[in-house]
Amino acid sequence: MVYKDGTRAVEGISFSVDEGEFFGFLGPNGAGKSTTIKVLTTLLRKTSGRVSVSGLDLDKSPAEIRKAVGVLSQETSLDVDLTGWENLHLQGRLQQMSGKILDERIAELLKLVQLEDVAKKPAGRYSGGMRKRLDLASALIHTPKLLFLDEPTTGLDTQSRAAIWDYLEGLNKNEGITIFLTTQYLEEADRLCRKLSVIDHGKLIANGSPSELKESIGGDTINLTLADAALKPRAKDVLRGVPGVVDVMDSDGGVTAYAKSAGQIIAQVITSLDRAGIQPSFLSISSPTLDDVFLRKTGRRIRTDELSRKETEPFLM
Amino acid sequence: MTILYDTQSLLERYLTKLVRNPTLLATNLVTPVIFLVLFSQLLTKFAEFIPNAPGGYLAYLTPGVIMLSAMISAPLGGVSMANDLNSGFLSKMLLTQVRRPAILLGRLVTDMLMAVAQSIITIVAAVFMGVQFSSGIPGILLILLTVAFFEFALSGIFLTVGIRTRKTETISALSGVLFFPLIFISSAMFPISFFPSWAQTFSNYNPVSYASDVTRDLVVGGLTFNSLISAYVLIGIISVLTFAATLIQFRKVAS
Repeated sequence: MVYKDGTRAVEGISFSVDEGEFFGFLGPNGAGKSTTIKVLTTLLRKTSGRVSVSGLDLDKSPAEIRKAVGVLSQETSLDVDLTGWENLHLQGRLQQMSGKILDERIAELLKLVQLEDVAKKPAGRYSGGMRKRLDLASALIHTPKLLFLDEPTTGLDTQSRAAIWDYLEGLNKNEGITIFLTTQYLEEADRLCRKLSVIDHGKLIANGSPSELKESIGGDTINLTLADAALKPRAKDVLRGVPGVVDVMDSDGGVTAYAKSAGQIIAQVITSLDRAGIQPSFLSISSPTLDDVFLRKTGRRIRTDELSRKETEPFLM
Repeated sequence: MTILYDTQSLLERYLTKLVRNPTLLATNLVTPVIFLVLFSQLLTKFAEFIPNAPGGYLAYLTPGVIMLSAMISAPLGGVSMANDLNSGFLSKMLLTQVRRPAILLGRLVTDMLMAVAQSIITIVAAVFMGVQFSSGIPGILLILLTVAFFEFALSGIFLTVGIRTRKTETISALSGVLFFPLIFISSAMFPISFFPSWAQTFSNYNPVSYASDVTRDLVVGGLTFNSLISAYVLIGIISVLTFAATLIQFRKVAS
């Protein structure tokens, strides 16, 4: 997918999502996640490649695809002058629903996202979390088989995020809706998705279930923070020399080593470092996270969980 | 279901939004009355100079105010479209099964209804102030049809600009630049015999003059078939141009 100004947003990616799957697209800001969703949901025209959604060819049957899928965009898009109920009613009518069927579906969805009490209030008076829930309900109005969610919890507080996670898990488990989600949150990808593609700079860098991806690291991680950054190369050499260490990489404030069972070799790691005159200011052992997978593949961390609050624009206007 | 269903759904949305925004609604509805009172009262001395105006200057002015009000509400559609583009609501609509043209039609019909509502208020105010509508109810209905058609032609300009620039400021700036010459260098507010010759020439080609003259003939009498046809053909040509421009811009964002 190449934009008019020549920006190559997404390139050479290939993946498939099975029916009933909970699939995640994990990557940092600007990785190409939103572009991919916009292409898949007919909002952007791809410049090359082949896409089929719900068994339908993207180029030949965009209208049928729109019928089969529900989309929750990254920017919450509601008509703030209309009430919650009116927003859903309009969305339902635009999805060619009417009468009793629509009324019943609205009632059902308002209950699902727990907005029954405020359904008659203008959406402009809703909090960020409530708006997101209403937007989610409107994406579900026509009972789509496939739901696309573009960073559904970015900018939300922890509580609202947990609520959205519960709804999504329920939709996937109880109603068999296939879910395609993009996220920059490791925790979100780890908890929700059964299959993941990790994307960076418009390219796919890893595929698999969260546990498969983490296992691919080949064991635990030992993280060192060094007071003196100049010692990094030496620390890496020392660590490489310790039996059991599989790989060593730079990470932001220090060095990360990968080992089968870190607990068994930690004593030797410390002794070797000490002998080389290196004293880490901080040392920890952990089971690998998806961030380690990202680090292993790209040499950088995603690290959005802490930063994103500051980076994302305020949710409420 | 048809495109009519979609247009109706969106029309309801736009009308609900207007009702939820009472200041905007009231401003638009009261404006014609203010113009009518303001011009007719301020220009009483001037009115004495107007030779053989049947029904006096107030009757002359009423069609002008009707056209002026239509012009003031014409940018609403463009503003609303720019807002929908910026908020992502348009994308959201495009992700549904809505028939694309209904998004534009719903908006155009809203603007036309607004112009018709303003005209009705102007007519009622004029009647209270003593203007007699010589062609009766059928004449008034034809006035409303003319205004709606005129509004359709104008709205397209702002829809085009709104979709292209996505900036409401550009729309308000453009409306000022466009409307002052169009309304004042036309027969809408003053008889063109008062104008210098260049302005008379401009006025003779100005569609606002045609729309005002037809409406004026329906108020004071003397409508000819020829003036009706020439006004409708001219407004029709402008409508085709502005609607085509709107469609071209809309297709860029909607496909």
